[in-house]
Amino acid sequence: MLTWLILLPVVGAIAVGVIPRARKELHLPLGITLSVLPLGLAMYLFYVFEPVPGYQFTELHSWYEPWGIAWSLGVDGISMPMVVLTTLLVPIALGASASITDRAKEFVVYTLLLEAGMIGVFLSLDLFLFFVFFEVILIPMYFIIGIWGSERRVYAAMKFFIYTAFGSALMLAGIIALAVTHGQQFGTVSFALADLMNVELGGGSERWLFAAFALAFAIKVPLFPLHTWLPDAHTEAPTAGSVLLAGVLLKLGTYGLMRFNLSLFPEASVDAVWIMGILAVIGIVYGAAVAIVQPDLKKLVAYSSVSHLGFIVLGTFALTSGGLQGAVIQNVNHGITTGALFLLVGMIYERRHTKKIADFGGLQKVMPVYAGFFLFMIFASIGLPGLNGFVGEFLVLIGSYTTLPALAIIAAAGVILAAIYLLWAYERVFTGVPDREENEVLSDLSVRELSLLAPLAALVLVLGLYPGILLDKIVPSTEAVLDHIEATTDYQVPTPGRLGDVFVAEGD
Amino acid sequence: MTTPEISWIAILPELFLALGAAAVLLVEVQWKPAIRVLGALAAAALALASTSSVVQWAQASDAFGGGSAGDLISFSGLVVMDGFAVFGRFALLAVTGFGLLAGWRYIESLGRRGAEAIALVLLASAGFSIMVAANNLVMMFLGLEVGSIALYVLAGMSRERARSDEAAIKYFLLGSFASAIFVYGVALIYAGTGQFEILGIRAFMSGFVVLSPAVILIGLGLVIVGLGFKVSAAPFHSWAPDVYQGAPAGLVGYMAAMAKVAGFVAISRILLTGLDSLDSNWLPVVAAISALSMLVGSILALVQGDVRRMLAYSGVAHAGFILTGLVGGTTGGVLFYLAVYALQLVGAFAVVAAVSGPDNSESALDSYRGLIRRSPLLAWSFTILLLGMAGLPLTSGFIAKFGVFAQAWSSGFEWLVVVAVLASVIAFAFYLRIIVMMYMDESDDPEIEVPGTVRWVLAAAVGTTILWGILPGSLLRLAADALPL
Repeated sequence: MLTWLILLPVVGAIAVGVIPRARKELHLPLGITLSVLPLGLAMYLFYVFEPVPGYQFTELHSWYEPWGIAWSLGVDGISMPMVVLTTLLVPIALGASASITDRAKEFVVYTLLLEAGMIGVFLSLDLFLFFVFFEVILIPMYFIIGIWGSERRVYAAMKFFIYTAFGSALMLAGIIALAVTHGQQFGTVSFALADLMNVELGGGSERWLFAAFALAFAIKVPLFPLHTWLPDAHTEAPTAGSVLLAGVLLKLGTYGLMRFNLSLFPEASVDAVWIMGILAVIGIVYGAAVAIVQPDLKKLVAYSSVSHLGFIVLGTFALTSGGLQGAVIQNVNHGITTGALFLLVGMIYERRHTKKIADFGGLQKVMPVYAGFFLFMIFASIGLPGLNGFVGEFLVLIGSYTTLPALAIIAAAGVILAAIYLLWAYERVFTGVPDREENEVLSDLSVRELSLLAPLAALVLVLGLYPGILLDKIVPSTEAVLDHIEATTDYQVPTPGRLGDVFVAEGD
Repeated sequence: MTTPEISWIAILPELFLALGAAAVLLVEVQWKPAIRVLGALAAAALALASTSSVVQWAQASDAFGGGSAGDLISFSGLVVMDGFAVFGRFALLAVTGFGLLAGWRYIESLGRRGAEAIALVLLASAGFSIMVAANNLVMMFLGLEVGSIALYVLAGMSRERARSDEAAIKYFLLGSFASAIFVYGVALIYAGTGQFEILGIRAFMSGFVVLSPAVILIGLGLVIVGLGFKVSAAPFHSWAPDVYQGAPAGLVGYMAAMAKVAGFVAISRILLTGLDSLDSNWLPVVAAISALSMLVGSILALVQGDVRRMLAYSGVAHAGFILTGLVGGTTGGVLFYLAVYALQLVGAFAVVAAVSGPDNSESALDSYRGLIRRSPLLAWSFTILLLGMAGLPLTSGFIAKFGVFAQAWSSGFEWLVVVAVLASVIAFAFYLRIIVMMYMDESDDPEIEVPGTVRWVLAAAVGTTILWGILPGSLLRLAADALPL
């Protein structure tokens, strides 16, 4: 079943690939249609997913026995929501790419291959396999930015690739080290996550390995001060690239920190709580502060990502129930809201060919529906109660207040900053009277654009009003992460950090 | 004096290759047939050599599976046909076949001199083939020289091009020096051990306590320098960029891959079989050469404006990567790496030759701008081959790198692995540079017509790069089984 989830996009890519270049009009519609199949499968799996700890729908096939590598797949409450998010965002990203007419076929193929890779990362339970997917997705993304991006696309694509490849290279050394150590201790080399969790590492080497993995993921997140590739990549990428970059690719970092760093190196994770927390909070405040002064709408959203992702890392390293739940929830929320914001920016860019805030003004009057969606997504992003962003940020703040109170307080200021930069941007772009001729003739959203935004807006509402549908499935797995840390280290989550201590959203 | 026992099967592949070379020349002199006929003769020689290698492989497997290992040694210990030699020879034969196909258009363009080129290719293959099977250092030197001299001539085949002359002279002068250094090293090892035979050296080293191995060590150092030159490991690499740039594009891939495969098999045999007892002495040296090669190759490749020079420096880096496997003591890892890299190299130069065109002109980076518009086949193939060389997952290059890195790590050379992964990242940058130009720039140049022979080479190189990247098990097992005696 899970293998199909990875193979469906690949099959889709091949199907699109064999259609001759001359039949231009077929590539994109076929790509969108085929990308709905994995979405359907993912939603079905989410529906039948049991809210219990541990991996479900697991599959295991040996790849090359002497090396102990295997095609080992499974999902738990941490990865399941990410898989659904990925499969949801791909059709939407493709749907937003109607303006790509040059080499549309390759674009669709790359996007579908990217999807396969991203799903593979979330499903892998074998570190070798994980690394394969983690690294392979760089290529389609590199092409998407580099071929269909704006003026400085080649520079941005290269920067994106080298930054991430640098991080993952050291992680590769770390993976090798873990597997070799497993071989020394248990007699067989293994790359299975479950096996490697049993490896006894000395304090020193555990810290080194933690650092190697954390560096790879921190670049991906990106965590301050490794974030400099992100604004470039986002600004230059085409809309679909930005949506997938913000919606899924950045989450590979936060997902990796939670899945691998916390589970494989619990001792070092406990030691690193403050470092990671401080970097996260710097990211929150710095990202927000820089976002305020951005003259470019897309860059503003990009820096807001740096800020929002800081919350997720803070929640992860708070090492409390609320923090971890909030982090997983925010992974999904940020994908929805920031994905939607990038879509919206892309839509206005297609009309006006500019992203400069100063070029706009008074759009509310000209494009009321567009403005409405924009405001709605801004509210979701700020964390207005009743919308999805609130649930996640609230959980993160509550969770981190128990263990990192000082950081939680500063992080709360980030929420206010978010309100400032987003609402101020809204004010400049949408309120007032349209003072430029070009802005007066803009058309409002088309049916196609509405159909892309509507599902995201619906999710914002549903997850905001009834987060239980997600939290129910997440909680057992995040609790299992904490159980593992408590069992393998001296660390005990201080009261009231664990579920059941006091009010921490239980999901219903 | 007893007559040495003759086991013809042990040298049958080389015999076929040498006879093939002679046949090509004689047929040419006598009948002056179409060049295709000579190609068919070469193909027949390769097919016979491959078949006899299969027989050898079966015998080697038998010997390891309970038979007598001594059966694999023949001609009084001059040559062996252990799995290591046979695997290495398969790589050489594959490179020869695909190298001839890749260079076929060039060979045709030589007119009547094409026969010389074919004969030289077969002769070089015979030489390197005997080199990988040599159990005797003098025999190894003979193979090395037969192969190398043929390559010097091939480098200068395009006499009308000044660069080709320069390449040939440079290759010849520096190569001869390297061979001389190698021979001197062999002499010193003989002085220290009284043995030319590699297995004999091992027996000597384990049978006697060598109080001061200084002479042996100096000899070993010289041997490493000599062979390091042949495989273009830093700091003995300075000839490679000029030769790669000057030699005929269609044949460069063949020349480079042959030297790499044969050189590394020989180094591995000497170090891991003959003098493994001195590993505490040579490991640091080889590790240092490895690290230096990876860094020098990757960094200098970044600034090249010519694709052939870039591939030459990338070859220096690859020599470093392969040496990490040697440091880790894995013959299987080294063989796997050699096999996949050799095919990628031949494929990559087939692309370079096609882009350079029949006049074999320069291969400046700029001429790759917008290649996707001029020939999607070449652009796609080159992309996959470059990504394979870069070691991206799902290509055989990744499996190869992973194998040697993991082995080096478990042998305690953690620092070398860290250097290696960092060098890999630097390498990404220059491979991507070409890819950027092929896809992200425009070109108004006319479409490139890809010869059928080149299509075959690309199909094989790209196919194996992907196949062994996804399902490496079969080749990895073969490589792991291909142990030296």
